[in-house]
Amino acid sequence: MKDEVTREERVDALGGMGCKRKRVEDARFTQGKGNYVDDLKLDGMLFGDFVRSPYAHARVKSVDSSAAMEVPGVLAVLTAADLEPLGLHWMPTLAGDKMMVLADGKVLYQGQEVAFVVATDRYAAADGIESVEVEYEELPVLVDPFEALQSDVVLREDLLGADGGTPDGAHGPRNHPNHIFTWEAGDKDATEQVIGAADVVAEEMVYYHRTHPCPLETCGCVASMDKVNGKLTLWGTFQAPHAIRTVVSLISGIEEHNIRVISPDIGGGFGNKVGAYPGYVCSVVASIVTGKPVKWIEDRMDNLMTTAFARDYWMQGKIAATKEGKITGLWCHTTADHGGFDACADPTKFPAGFMNICTGSYDIPTAYLAVDGVYTNKAPGGVAYRCSFRVTEAAYFIERMIEVLAIELGMDAAELRRINFIKAEQFPYQSALGWEYDSGDYHTAWGKAMAAVGYDDLRAEQAQRVADFKAGKTRKLLGIGLCHFTEIVGAGPVKNCDILGLGMFDSCEIRIHPTGSAIARLGTISQGQGHATTFAQILATEIGLPADSITIEEGDTDTAPYGLGTYGSRSTPVAGAATAMAGRKIRAKAQMIAAYLLEVHDGDVEFDVDRFVVKGAPERFKTMKEIAFASYNQAIPGLEPGLEAVSYYDPPNMTYPFGAYVCVMEIDVDTGEHEIRQFYALDDCGTRINPMIIEGQVHGGLTEALAIAMGQEIAYDEMGNVKTATLMDFFLPTAVETPHYTTDHTVTPSPHHPIGAKGVGESPNVGGVPAFSNAVHDAFRAFGLRQSHMPHDHWRIWKIANELGLHG
Amino acid sequence: MELNDEIVIDAPQDAVYAALNDPEILQQCIPGCEELIKHSDTELEAKVVLKVGPVKARFSGNVTLDTGGAPDQFSLTGQGNGGAAGHAKGGADVKLAADGAQTTLRYTAKAEIGGKLAQLGSRLIQGTAKKLAAKFFASFAEVMAAQKAG
Repeated sequence: MKDEVTREERVDALGGMGCKRKRVEDARFTQGKGNYVDDLKLDGMLFGDFVRSPYAHARVKSVDSSAAMEVPGVLAVLTAADLEPLGLHWMPTLAGDKMMVLADGKVLYQGQEVAFVVATDRYAAADGIESVEVEYEELPVLVDPFEALQSDVVLREDLLGADGGTPDGAHGPRNHPNHIFTWEAGDKDATEQVIGAADVVAEEMVYYHRTHPCPLETCGCVASMDKVNGKLTLWGTFQAPHAIRTVVSLISGIEEHNIRVISPDIGGGFGNKVGAYPGYVCSVVASIVTGKPVKWIEDRMDNLMTTAFARDYWMQGKIAATKEGKITGLWCHTTADHGGFDACADPTKFPAGFMNICTGSYDIPTAYLAVDGVYTNKAPGGVAYRCSFRVTEAAYFIERMIEVLAIELGMDAAELRRINFIKAEQFPYQSALGWEYDSGDYHTAWGKAMAAVGYDDLRAEQAQRVADFKAGKTRKLLGIGLCHFTEIVGAGPVKNCDILGLGMFDSCEIRIHPTGSAIARLGTISQGQGHATTFAQILATEIGLPADSITIEEGDTDTAPYGLGTYGSRSTPVAGAATAMAGRKIRAKAQMIAAYLLEVHDGDVEFDVDRFVVKGAPERFKTMKEIAFASYNQAIPGLEPGLEAVSYYDPPNMTYPFGAYVCVMEIDVDTGEHEIRQFYALDDCGTRINPMIIEGQVHGGLTEALAIAMGQEIAYDEMGNVKTATLMDFFLPTAVETPHYTTDHTVTPSPHHPIGAKGVGESPNVGGVPAFSNAVHDAFRAFGLRQSHMPHDHWRIWKIANELGLHG
Repeated sequence: MELNDEIVIDAPQDAVYAALNDPEILQQCIPGCEELIKHSDTELEAKVVLKVGPVKARFSGNVTLDTGGAPDQFSLTGQGNGGAAGHAKGGADVKLAADGAQTTLRYTAKAEIGGKLAQLGSRLIQGTAKKLAAKFFASFAEVMAAQKAG
């Protein structure tokens, strides 16, 4: 019989960091017991929905709701004229612009909200919408940002100066009425000089098309104004509930303590649910007007057409190198299509997000980046889809430029990357565009990836395939898609990261219960990331109580500490750090209690897994469970009862996860169909909290990357019609299209993060898209292809083959 | 979207031309036409119920005729609005040629479609338009035949 528990068994019993703890959320999700906003049903709840513009650009001459008010069940129709006296017909965006809540005289994109019909149920609201008569006068439509910058057609007349000029915007001077901002980083003159004098320069236009995260659950909310006590409760699909509370308070004038924002379970966010939408404002107003709870839930078309899209970046690049392939300079000019309003959710000082991470994993001594934001007749948004802050665009740009440079140099693209990587000993590395990379070991990761896929053999097979193709023995080509990405996540240090003046710290508050269990509340909100699982693991390791005894609670602003929410892979780098720091405060008090109980000095006890032991006498100890009980129930001189802690964490730097991905793809030249034979993904996200959740995050992100690279897009025709607003046209991969993924890792901890973790939620999307796209390009490299824009659907791949003359 | 076709109608050219400018006949022949009001020789107003795939809506619109080339040709332009369902605008050139007692009618039509109609019905629009045109001319031929018999 075993009489003593070993140390390993004690570690295992905690379920702390590094173990593959099963997701505690899944019991309810897999049994249909999740609690989403549309599950909420309140007494007397009404339903609101929008009359939306069928035009992409038109004057709204009149809105006649008289027939709609006759429809049984319709109680109210709100228009801009109704909101104007409240000052709510426009609202601020998170990017320093303003946007219409309801069409104020004109509409700027198809699907824009024109009137809000409030009815007893969704069906009556739909009937009411049909009966609202809106008179439009069509205006010329601009869907091309380059054309918009040349056009006489002014999209935002509200921004014209009194003299008809173009006053400065939130981010400085504007050079055309349809221009939003110019943002620059790096040294322009030095970069142009390097490029002018270089041995080799590769130049290319790289387009990252407009797409959409398409979360399975669309956006929605329920607003309930209690007129007796003056309190507003707002349930919704909010990725940043506290920020929503503050914004609602600022624009409605309701004091912040009288607003309670609750994010229940969220069915995927991916940045689509960060922004503030007209649906929220109208629901709140409708609840105030009717005195009843009002629900608004988007349908799929509403979601794809109007709420936050992703990308739409035209990136003109030049990359210079020596004959041997050593990169000497990088130049990029981006034309950014922001749609009708600038409603990105970037930190204030970064109107193009962290696009200046576009030097990637490479030691590029000189670089320059300029971004011009442009208004067009498309939906607003822009920071979404597991990309946030334009990191995906930056990674795609540099990973395409590297491939183009390899063609220019006649070099192997893997070798070109290898000789230009930042070396392990160069960290912390100061990039030419202004970032300090915290840690990395790119050569080790790359070497591991090349060995794992058998890179040299793959290239030999590819060469044979090209020979066979030319000899008429096969009609299939082989593409080897390479990518080494460096991300920048964990926004961010308050000194340079804020949104609308709200600092981007995050928070954790822990309360230990007397019997040795705990609840921790955070300023973040899970949308599928498994926070209840992983944050409990961090705490288990930090405070020595089992993860299974720790409840994680998020999303209720009345109980959770203030935080900026979950997006941009910031939860682990920021709230995860706050959790560890709060745990350490608990441990510090526990140490004093343990020392008192063991009758030794504080410095004579040390923490060991789940207990404090007397140094040199491990048989003398107090478990954290015992300490928890004593903290409440034993009078300890000089110490208050209780065991609680709170930490607000302002990160000293961003974190820089990285990875090496390889995609091996077969392409049928005659049909344009592709088959992914192998996908290898090595991720280095620093310290790994739960390897199983990381693997799940990587699988999900890669599948979204596959979607984006191989078919998904928000496409507009010349009239501004959204051509892909239903799942019939918008590609959402299923198990049929999804390949097998091989995941791998290296571990390079972040030196400035309390537990060394870096965040992983977005890495697979950032790195996956270039890997898939490079595979398509690489398959045709031998036949002269340099650049072909995504998405690489069957038709577009067929067209590449056709234009290269491969159809005979 | 573009449509072209050629139809032979069993009636003399003058009769065909006159019928094509007769609101009553047009209303009978245009599928789903609930109302057709002639404001002048060149201005018409119409209400038409149209169904394309999942979208069904009542369109109200205006049509302007250009009869400058009578009786060999005429052209029309128009636009219609179906509220939440979308909108359309376009035009057609029609040419008539006598072929004995019969008339050969050639037309080319162009249309731009917006709103839900364009989004949900885009795959179906070409087919639907062809079907509607065929229906129109089938009815038109019937009316002309009836006129001839009468």
